[in-house]
Amino acid sequence: MSSPLLTIEHLRVDFPEVVAVNDLSLTVGAGDVCGLIGPNGAGKTTTMRAISGLQESTRGSVRVGGHELAREPDELKKCLGFMPDFCPVYEQLTATEFLDHFARAYDVPNRASRIFECLELTWLTEKRNALCEELSRGMKQRLVLAKTLLPDPKVLLLDEPASGLDPLGRIELRKILLQLRDAGKAVLISSHILTELSGFCNTAAIMERGKLVTFGTIAELGQKMGRRRMSVKWRADGGKAMDILKSANVKNLEAADLGATFDFDGNADALDELLKTLVVQGVRVCEWRGSGDDLEQIFLQSGAKELM
Amino acid sequence: MKLSENPIFLTQKRLVHRAGVLAAILIAALIGLSLLSGLIAYLSAPISFGFRSPQEAGKVFYGWIIGVEILVLIIGGFGRISKVLAEDRKAGLLDSNRLTPLKPAQIVIGYWFGAPLREVYMSAVLAGIGLVVVLLGRLPLTLWFGTQILIVSTALFLGLLAVLMGLVIQRPQNGAVVPALLIVLLPLFSFIMPKYMLSNFLLPVYSIVNLFDTRELADEHSFRDWSGSPEIFGVPIPPVVLTLGLQIGIGIFLWRAAVRKTANPFRSPLFRWEAVVLFGILLFAQHGLMWGVWHGHFPELSVGTRNFADEAPMLSIVHCGTLLLAAIVLAFASPLPERVRLEALRTGVGNFPLAFSRSALPLALVLLAVAGIALLTQCAAEISSNWMIFTVAFGSLLDFFLVFVLLLEFCRLRFKRRALGFVCLWLFVLCVLPFILAGVFSEAAIGRLSLLSPGVLALANSQGSNDYGSAEPDFLLLIVLAQFGIAVLLFFGWRDQWRRLFARAAAIPQAK
Repeated sequence: MSSPLLTIEHLRVDFPEVVAVNDLSLTVGAGDVCGLIGPNGAGKTTTMRAISGLQESTRGSVRVGGHELAREPDELKKCLGFMPDFCPVYEQLTATEFLDHFARAYDVPNRASRIFECLELTWLTEKRNALCEELSRGMKQRLVLAKTLLPDPKVLLLDEPASGLDPLGRIELRKILLQLRDAGKAVLISSHILTELSGFCNTAAIMERGKLVTFGTIAELGQKMGRRRMSVKWRADGGKAMDILKSANVKNLEAADLGATFDFDGNADALDELLKTLVVQGVRVCEWRGSGDDLEQIFLQSGAKELM
Repeated sequence: MKLSENPIFLTQKRLVHRAGVLAAILIAALIGLSLLSGLIAYLSAPISFGFRSPQEAGKVFYGWIIGVEILVLIIGGFGRISKVLAEDRKAGLLDSNRLTPLKPAQIVIGYWFGAPLREVYMSAVLAGIGLVVVLLGRLPLTLWFGTQILIVSTALFLGLLAVLMGLVIQRPQNGAVVPALLIVLLPLFSFIMPKYMLSNFLLPVYSIVNLFDTRELADEHSFRDWSGSPEIFGVPIPPVVLTLGLQIGIGIFLWRAAVRKTANPFRSPLFRWEAVVLFGILLFAQHGLMWGVWHGHFPELSVGTRNFADEAPMLSIVHCGTLLLAAIVLAFASPLPERVRLEALRTGVGNFPLAFSRSALPLALVLLAVAGIALLTQCAAEISSNWMIFTVAFGSLLDFFLVFVLLLEFCRLRFKRRALGFVCLWLFVLCVLPFILAGVFSEAAIGRLSLLSPGVLALANSQGSNDYGSAEPDFLLLIVLAQFGIAVLLFFGWRDQWRRLFARAAAIPQAK
């Protein structure tokens, strides 16, 4: 993992009748997109609110861009962009005026051009003069995303950013997140729709009942979860391939048309070795995919009770 | 940051302008011009009006103009600020602004000056027309300057209170409660003893009427009490100076509370020392104003002092005001039990000393001392003969302060979100129900069991002889002692609830 921009240590948040977040520790480095996954009530939103300082924590420390929340909240705010799971907008302002409000608040240099850039990035250029009340929920969501990106923060907290977006919007959101990742931002993103996170999250944190169930890179998590389901396809020499697989440490081997699926218990090196064996033995492998790399699979295997 | 660069102010300005200001300005102009035309009509044909001079006509028409101005800027502005802020808070926009590098003070200023802009425009139009009325009515310009300064200062003072309200109220429309209460309650007290009531100076009722120079009308009974300077412990102070001094003094605390609450909504808006100083300022100012009636010889009236006690039991009213003020201060300063539980979790110390130190109970005792000293100023010179009256009044304060704090915290601990309803219920039972039962059964003695009665009755005894007989103070003291028993019972319940809270903190359940 690259140098951490967001560090959470032993975070605990108490509500009157419940411990909403309990002893949570995780780090998100520059260029990392971390998926915060969990069922309803797992504490994802509370975690994000606690990181931003909107929710008071009982214990633990939060450090963003080297600034500790308890000691340097003002410096921390400059490094942080938080997009909540609802859309707080001034209904009677235009999209441009709304962004202008926050550009002034963040003291963004070259306000007008930066606002235009963010509108363009969130495909709202055509709606720049529309009142917020005239925007659809998805558009408002994009506008709030534009507001979050406005000060160019090092760390982004995105709470369910795709929930109101149409399919095209989700594809565009994915592009934006990849751009942010490439730009070296640290992104902590929560979502119920795990397939959406799979494409661009390189780390994931699974929460349940306020506790961190597991945290790591997608590959590490796949391994942590133990057995992973693999899928292999070849162009010819199916018989030889099946023989190699049977002799290897695989379970539940199922043959398919020019391919097979199987469970593999070994680590990543053993898996690499198996692929190498197949290729060296002359099997023309054209697809080699592990479903254990999939966030949904990891989540299901993590033992979390409720998948939304 | 200049106000013109404050993003909250600019956004509020945009929102106000987008909603339209022209109609509002025209309404204000029409009202003002109607009154101006009335004055012009009088000046052209004085015979058809009942005014004795152009000055009198000018004062009447200008009085109406500033009346509308007060309604628009002070009452309307208050409602607007608290409503806008409460709506933004509920919509999550206040949180969005709090996450920016804007300082809490800048956020407060933005709402304070930005939200009531429509009302500011309207009152500016009225003020302009008012100036013309003053000039045409040949009234001194000091009247215009003085009244306008007082209106603006009061609007700013109450605007800060509105910001604070907007930060705490649950429903945006609840912000209208305070101005509504002011309109209903203020006249009840303002006209009983104008020069002696603090509310007449905190809100500039006396100062504005005084600026109208009522000396010519002082012969008339209704205006006799509105002329001259008030005195604080015998020192005459110009009414405008007193009003501005009080508003600035208390405004500083409101400002600090608003900024603190904006920075961290989880914290109490008042530090303890601030609550004590605020309470002290208000209470000593009130007793200072009334000091001239008895000069410390309560209940013997000073020579030359008008016998107000014939019309109203002044010190009893102040006693009730003290109880109300203490209840408000204690309610604001009292921490939510959840805060103390979190502190216990943080520090790992969850015991009774922590509960006592964080509870408003010690604060109530300090406020009691302040109230006792303030009350003592009225009867210090005759304390050897009046010690019983003072003891009953002080004991009554002690009972109420303790019962209120213990009841409030007990209900918060026991009933959580439903606490307010139960506090109101028990205060009703302890304070009001005895009076109702006294009326129902035609038995005045039942009314004396009210938590309010001992102090009020003792201090109503301003003439030395009273309707209750010479044994009455002793009887009242017995009631005070009996009521102390309620506080003791509440104390045990209160302690038990804290224990339960700390026990829960020690064994916290996991998330659902």
